Amino acid sequence: MHRQSGHRVLLAPLGGLLLLAGNIAHADSGIGVDMWRGNVLDPRGGADSRPLDPRGTSWLSPRQRRSPSGNLYLCPAASPEQTKLGEWLFSGSLDIGFVGVSGDEDNALWNRYADWEDGFILGLLQLEFLRPRDGSYASLRASRISDDDAYFDAMFGRAGSYKVHAFLRELPNALSDSVRSIWNGVGSNHLTLVDPLQAGASTSGQVGAASRAAIERQISVNRSKQGLGFSIYLDPRWSAHADVSNEQRKGARPFGGAMFFNFPFPDNGGILETLRPVDDATVNLNTGLRYAGSKWRLDFAYSGSFYRDRYTRFDYEMPYALSPVIPGAVSAPLQRGQFATEPDNDYHNIKAAITRKLGNAGEFSLTASLGRMSQDDSLIAPIDCQGVFGIGLGGSLQLGPQNPFLFDCSQWNSNAALPRTRADMRIDTSLVDGRIVLHPLESLSVRAGLRFNREDYRGSWLAFNPLNGAYGYVSENGAQGSVVPGEVGFWYPGAGASNLTRIRNLPLDLQTTEATLGADWRISEGNSIGADLVVNRFEPGNREREQVDFRRISLNWTNRALDWLTLRAKLSHLRQSGDRYNYDPYEFTFSSSLPGFVEPEGGVPAHTVDALRKFDLASRDEDKFSLIATIALGDDMTLGASLNGMRNDYDASLGRQSYDTHGGTVQWDWQPNPRFMASAYFGRDFSTLELANVNDQALDPDPSLGGPTYPLDAVWSDRDRQRNAYAGASFKASLKRVAWDGNWTWVNARGSNNYAFASPSALAYFSDGSSVPGNAFPDTRYRVNAISMGLRVPLGERLSLRVFDTWARGRFEDWHYAGMDETRVIEHRVYTDGGPRGYRNNLLGMLLQVRL
Amino acid sequence: MKNSMLAAAFSLVGLGLLACPWARADSDTFMDLRSIPALQGDPAAGKAGSATCAACHMQNGISVVGLFPNLAGQHAEYLYWRMRTIQQEARADSPMTALLADLDDAELRNFSAWYASLPPADHSDSANGAAAHASEGARIWNEGDATRGIPPCQGCHGRNAEGHPLAAKAIRWRLVPVLRGQHADFVIQRLKAYRDGSHTLTSSARMMNGAAANLDDASIEALAQWIESGDSM
Repeated sequence: MHRQSGHRVLLAPLGGLLLLAGNIAHADSGIGVDMWRGNVLDPRGGADSRPLDPRGTSWLSPRQRRSPSGNLYLCPAASPEQTKLGEWLFSGSLDIGFVGVSGDEDNALWNRYADWEDGFILGLLQLEFLRPRDGSYASLRASRISDDDAYFDAMFGRAGSYKVHAFLRELPNALSDSVRSIWNGVGSNHLTLVDPLQAGASTSGQVGAASRAAIERQISVNRSKQGLGFSIYLDPRWSAHADVSNEQRKGARPFGGAMFFNFPFPDNGGILETLRPVDDATVNLNTGLRYAGSKWRLDFAYSGSFYRDRYTRFDYEMPYALSPVIPGAVSAPLQRGQFATEPDNDYHNIKAAITRKLGNAGEFSLTASLGRMSQDDSLIAPIDCQGVFGIGLGGSLQLGPQNPFLFDCSQWNSNAALPRTRADMRIDTSLVDGRIVLHPLESLSVRAGLRFNREDYRGSWLAFNPLNGAYGYVSENGAQGSVVPGEVGFWYPGAGASNLTRIRNLPLDLQTTEATLGADWRISEGNSIGADLVVNRFEPGNREREQVDFRRISLNWTNRALDWLTLRAKLSHLRQSGDRYNYDPYEFTFSSSLPGFVEPEGGVPAHTVDALRKFDLASRDEDKFSLIATIALGDDMTLGASLNGMRNDYDASLGRQSYDTHGGTVQWDWQPNPRFMASAYFGRDFSTLELANVNDQALDPDPSLGGPTYPLDAVWSDRDRQRNAYAGASFKASLKRVAWDGNWTWVNARGSNNYAFASPSALAYFSDGSSVPGNAFPDTRYRVNAISMGLRVPLGERLSLRVFDTWARGRFEDWHYAGMDETRVIEHRVYTDGGPRGYRNNLLGMLLQVRL
Repeated sequence: MKNSMLAAAFSLVGLGLLACPWARADSDTFMDLRSIPALQGDPAAGKAGSATCAACHMQNGISVVGLFPNLAGQHAEYLYWRMRTIQQEARADSPMTALLADLDDAELRNFSAWYASLPPADHSDSANGAAAHASEGARIWNEGDATRGIPPCQGCHGRNAEGHPLAAKAIRWRLVPVLRGQHADFVIQRLKAYRDGSHTLTSSARMMNGAAANLDDASIEALAQWIESGDSM
């Protein structure tokens, strides 16, 4: 399937659906495509534009209702005033006006998901038609803040019969406003160096000058999504739905550009931050048929997703020359690197579910589904070069036996160098899930479930080049093998017969079986306890463990014995373990498994250290707790507080060792009447992640920690802490048609990273062990403080004016981008993104609100 | 930073508190019955003064004329607030307007308590049986009509029209009348009034305005017949 206009995607089925809707009169399933439309001016889909309903929530009760957890439900918005148009009732409103931004108005974080621009805006256009006689309705809602931020939402149907729903949503996503590119063609799949830089022949000074001369620019990835949905009641029990959506993304984002390591070779190689294009589309399709009877429920569904990327690959020019580590030799003049973009892929899933009500409010359900994820995109050639790559001995770049480390590009730069030209890979999934709930006593509920899930990888890939009999893939766009003789990334007979490299794919088949058993017992009115046991067996293929088991037991207690207090507490313990941990199950994917492989002198180097435990399969103990109290301070006020904590202890000397979190929140809500509401909240959360690893010191077969490959003095550890605080307050008040609202939000997040190392051997690039004092990187910080106020005053029966102002300040510190303002070119490393910047902005807006 | 944070928080709360006195409920002739107290009345006094009522509604609260509703066994709160509504509406075309005009609050409470204490009509020998059960009225009562936006009546009035099942526990449900065996003519009159929007004075009426909005005459007739039949589901 190829990309096509979203509008064309919409129009074809729309015509058919409209014809169908005209002939069949049935009901509304409530299923739709992306039901919620909104933007920063209208975050709640139009709800904020209406005053609260002075009549309260319901004609049954004057009080605000509380949820089962004890929180007040929000007072609903007032119904719009309606005008009779024959049989139809019409209501509509138009909010039109302007916004003006002062301060750092081009700042990316300020503009993220908004793209504020000075000028006229369509705040909201809302039209609703209702025909009470038969419940027919039609509505349109639209808003447009800027060229890239607009939505349109339309639906029509008949209550209890059918509904047709269509939408368009555009969402800007400014990624950075501090990009300096040394390439032309940003946004396309072909980056060429700006003048006067020359591919493969520029110096660090020249590249630095080009970077400094580049105009700082914004990059973004903007989304546009269109959707169409249709649902219908075929009779009071059978319903059907079909939804389709098409989302396009377009723009560019910072990406890599590997041309061999530069850190250990200051004047060699190239580490480039390129700008890759984003230009893709995803079509999602969901359709289903449902039966809801008094005893049986049936659900048959199909869902599909189809991703298509405009580009198969993108390439970029490499500014620097490469030089070999062998004196007297010469490197091939490589000028270009490349990446494959995400492959086009398809996803299909069919599901059938059946539910039977049992006596005493019991229920049994069985669900089965089959899925297939496949990709068969065209493959790209292993390298994008002309002539030769590798190293020419004696200063000669002539191919021949005298140059065993020099390779012919023509044997690698076309699809003929691949064992097949398309991916032809897929994963099949299957799921069976059974659940039962019984109530043997009025105060006792018992539940049990069994779930079986498989993911089977289909297809295999052996990276064999039929042109020359080599196995593997050219590494670093040929740059590595053009600096270090023979490190080309592929295995080949002769000089490369001992090259250790990946040659085949790794199928990660997976089978999961899970059994659950639980019960809730109501000890007394408003007081209940519950317990759940989950036993899970995880059987991955080609991983470090063939079988991983975890058992989680959790206890919960809910107490509503006091009218004014709801208490909920939960405690759980998980223990994960498994069979023998095989630190290296990947041998078969390496060239050492080939028949012609020649063991290098000293033996095949260890792939990894035997003491490392990967965190998803490692044995561990996890303890969690949460305590939530909701206090009703009278009928109209709520005070809530929560505490939570989690502790994870991993049985690993290398790898993740612990992950702990804890936090708490306090929230206050007050809704004394429909004309006034106020709330405030404060929260803090903390997390600590500890991990350790070892730096390899030799190409030696010994995988043991403490051996020559992984000596103890090369061990390092890292402690990553995150501390977040957030607070906010808001109110909304009205007197007749005058309305006033305010909102304040504050976020302060801090990340700290401390590390320790046994000796400088543990460090990759700071061999003297003192380059980073204090054994810590500077903290990263994210601080945002924003306050907004709004006032709506009536100017007439149908006219009102809304004035609103938002002041916001953002401050960010990220050591990854330290020094980017001075230079972005360091040796042969080229950075493009200058990182996040702070802002201090004010947004003033006026909207004339007209009731149509 | 902390100072600006506190200033922002205090400003918001202060502005909100300043705005608070603005908030007040509407007050007009509309009768909001959502938080009524339990009714206190003297059934004996109600009985003693009920001679005029009995002329139409009979001494046992079970009338013989279709337009005069049965009162026996009805919730006292419903009866009281219905009479208060009639007083407030003061419709010139209603015979009840003049009859209730001079009654004070205590008399209304006493009459309500008296008629609520009477046993409702006996429907154990309902003759319609299966036929009524299968009728259009029974269907609407039980299931409503989703295609026409009509909710099922039994959701509030009880499966067999005996009133809301939680009426004994919560006062607000005692404003939902017992309808089982009520005269069809009376039910038709009331449903049409709700549908056509001529009864809107109370919060309960507002609820019924929505529930009856899409009932056509045939459906009202069918419902009324099923209610009058006294049949059970």
